[in-house]
Amino acid sequence: MLNALSPTSVVASRAFFPPLLAAGFLLLLVVLASLLYGAGPVSASDAFAALMANGTEEAWFVVTELRLPRTTIALVTGLALGLAGALLQSMTRNPLAEPGLLGVSAGSGFAVALAILLGATTTTLTTLVAQLGALTGCALVIAATRVQGLGNDPVRLVLAGATLTGLLLALTSMLMLMDQRAADEIRFWITGSVAGKPLSMLWATLPSITLALVLIAIVARPLAAMALGEKAAVGLGHHPGRIRFLITFTVALLVGSATALAGPLIFVGLVVPFIARAFSGPDIRKTLWLCVPVGPAVVLGADVVSRLIAAPAEMPLGVVTALIGAPVLLAIVRAGRMPSL
Amino acid sequence: MPDKRNALVNTALLGLLMLATIISLATGTVQVSLFDTLRALAGNADPMTDFVINELRLSRVVAGLLSGAALAMAGCLMQTLARNRLATPGIIGIDNAATAFAVASVVGVGLSLAPSAMALAGAAAATAIAFGLAGANGTRGYRFIVAGIGIGAIAGAVTQVMLSRVAIDAANAAYPWTVGSLNARSGQSVLVLGIGLAAGYLVLMSLSRALNTLQFTDAVAIALGTRLKATRMIGLGLSVMLTGLAVSVCGPVGLIALLAPELARALCRPGKVPLTAAALAGASFMLIADLLGRTLFAPLEIPVGIITAIVGSPYLLWILLRPSPRSLT
Amino acid sequence: MSQSQTATLAADDITLAHRQFVVAENLSLHLPTAQVTAIVGPNGCGKSTLLNGLARIHTPKGGSVLLDGKDIHRLPSKEVARKLALLPQDNTAPEGLTVADLVRFGRQPHQGWMAQWSKEDQQAFDQAIQAADVAELAGRALDTLSGGQRQRAWIAMAVAQQTPLLLLDEPTSALDLGHQIEVFELIRALSGQGKTIAMVVHDLASACRYADHMVAMKNGTIIEEGAPAEIVSPELVQELYGVSCDLIHDPATGSPLLVNVRRNP
Repeated sequence: MLNALSPTSVVASRAFFPPLLAAGFLLLLVVLASLLYGAGPVSASDAFAALMANGTEEAWFVVTELRLPRTTIALVTGLALGLAGALLQSMTRNPLAEPGLLGVSAGSGFAVALAILLGATTTTLTTLVAQLGALTGCALVIAATRVQGLGNDPVRLVLAGATLTGLLLALTSMLMLMDQRAADEIRFWITGSVAGKPLSMLWATLPSITLALVLIAIVARPLAAMALGEKAAVGLGHHPGRIRFLITFTVALLVGSATALAGPLIFVGLVVPFIARAFSGPDIRKTLWLCVPVGPAVVLGADVVSRLIAAPAEMPLGVVTALIGAPVLLAIVRAGRMPSL
Repeated sequence: MPDKRNALVNTALLGLLMLATIISLATGTVQVSLFDTLRALAGNADPMTDFVINELRLSRVVAGLLSGAALAMAGCLMQTLARNRLATPGIIGIDNAATAFAVASVVGVGLSLAPSAMALAGAAAATAIAFGLAGANGTRGYRFIVAGIGIGAIAGAVTQVMLSRVAIDAANAAYPWTVGSLNARSGQSVLVLGIGLAAGYLVLMSLSRALNTLQFTDAVAIALGTRLKATRMIGLGLSVMLTGLAVSVCGPVGLIALLAPELARALCRPGKVPLTAAALAGASFMLIADLLGRTLFAPLEIPVGIITAIVGSPYLLWILLRPSPRSLT
Repeated sequence: MSQSQTATLAADDITLAHRQFVVAENLSLHLPTAQVTAIVGPNGCGKSTLLNGLARIHTPKGGSVLLDGKDIHRLPSKEVARKLALLPQDNTAPEGLTVADLVRFGRQPHQGWMAQWSKEDQQAFDQAIQAADVAELAGRALDTLSGGQRQRAWIAMAVAQQTPLLLLDEPTSALDLGHQIEVFELIRALSGQGKTIAMVVHDLASACRYADHMVAMKNGTIIEEGAPAEIVSPELVQELYGVSCDLIHDPATGSPLLVNVRRNP
């Protein structure tokens, strides 16, 4: 199975490992930064001392009880969204296909809002609901891309996604208006943020993410073949319909988990594969491998920025990802023709 | 020139608008009969009714009417310029940018200009950026739209930041701005909008022949003697101005700029850009949406922006997802 | 006869470029009055660009296009539109537009700011409809018409403009034989009424048959110019299209016909 994931040739892999290692190294740096820096009173040097088991009680608490869980959640969110974005873009052959832009995250958020309104309180339940919402959203998006004429028009799909997002946000707002108590709780979920989320949420999403990773391993090679076109893929012995179903399901698992952990974050699924593809080229397998370090690095990096940029207050993570992602979107557009997948 | 159909449509829409206006004025926590409403407008009603209608409700209804008309006209213009029935100022992020600037003014960040002026500045800035990034095809390519999505996202994020950083009172005051509501308007903004709308309408009427030729290819328009660049610039400028001024009154109410021109185009003859019909339809839609928002879950008031999003999005999705290749231009 | 003036159109040493890519350099051309001029040449030779340059759609990077001796880009576009009509290659029209609506657009250059539909407008409209023989089609939507009928409707619009000059960009390239003849005969009839016509034509044989004057272009330059009978030769065909042929003359019309067209050994 690992063979299915390995890059295609020796020559290619020589060019591939340096970026992978660099990304990995960058990730480690970002993790370190996340443990050391924060908006609170514990300074970087205090945190460093705590890591070296030399610090104060307070510093130790902040690093292990606050920053470590937050870091882990951000890492997992980034991993999930980055992979989901890469899969979606490869499958729809649309470089703008992003779970956030297409309304999948908003769908997930709406599902959670509805669940909370109807009385759901446990973490497991809301996580499950988030994933169901994402699954529905995903299915709708994939169905939309199968509509004739839409496959070749990335912009139309994005417009449909923006409309869907607008609709879902309006419905969510309405739910919040109808119930004050639920509104506060919904707002907690809806704001894109990894701050203050309990680790129990992470455990709740771990099964889904593990399953998703397994599915990716299965689906990667057929997906690479599908980039040649459906007929060519069939000629090579794959089943595009089945693959599409599996990918939809995988994306739903990933986006649902990410939304359950951090709320709807837009643009992450756009930025991460964009960066990965810059180094990996069109091969989806290489792209997926690169998304593994790049995704967490991006989200965690954004989270670190959100802590520092407005200290002592924190800027919501969703805002930072929008601020980072929008220029990337514009850069994609500026590049002239749509980059081919 | 035999143009009976358009004149008929405009008359019918005017009738609809007047009906919507009267009903909007009559409806509220104090129910006023339609007849009494008319008397109040004429100045003949008892003091209580007069107060309710003319003092409390009239300004809101006028604000809705004007902003709906302005948004619809701006949308109609943009669609003609972009040769794409899905183009709206909102798509290129103008709504969000205007809102961000207006919110800044309301919560006291940055320059202390009136919300109208700030909204206008925001709308102009967003357009300039989208245009600059759009490259050769200008308003007619896809880059314009995608750039707009990016700008809209940034503006939305900036608005969130501002709201999260200011005192709770200011944030609550600014909230209706962010979803589109007729609650937070200021008399001055409405006045500026009214003037802008009237002036814009006059300019557009004199430009209508040139605008009609824009429905063809560039070559045909030029061959018929239209000054393409000038017409486009004026059209874009007016679209931006009308949107900015409307947003300064009601916030980013989405989809009126899309739905009203759609209705106008469906009813009127092809070949003419139906600006008047769109304006009348837009005004009606706004009033009807606001009416629904006030009455559906009374006493809870749902902002008009949310109503238009919920009602209008399915229709827009239907247009976008229909499998017909020629449906967009 | 509808137009009251004649006008001349000429290109004076113009250089035309298409997005940094120079298409034609130092071109000079004078359209003979009241005649049909056909511009022919292989794909990419610049003939459409030249026509669009003459019609002021493209602005030349060098030299000038002269309408009645004056620089066409210095004249108000509306004034130009009263002397020059163009039938561009791409003819998309708003959905549901009728023939009558389309032809009415042709009167725009003659209508002032707030002018209403006048008697002259109606007269020109009626004449145009008659000339292009689209009277029975007037109320129908363009998208319901055949290719030939649609082209005639567009020509009617150009005729309604009542201009002494008419430029057509590949007026028949998407049409079948019957419709091609339909359109070419209409063009000849308009020329008979005194219009100066220039058309970009894809098919050399049609150009020979229906044009009085021919301009052969290759790689952005005019390599031959004159009456078809004089300039069309196997050598010209070889130079333009890279194929060999024999030349005979149409027994009925006398215009040159290419036979035995073959690739070079």
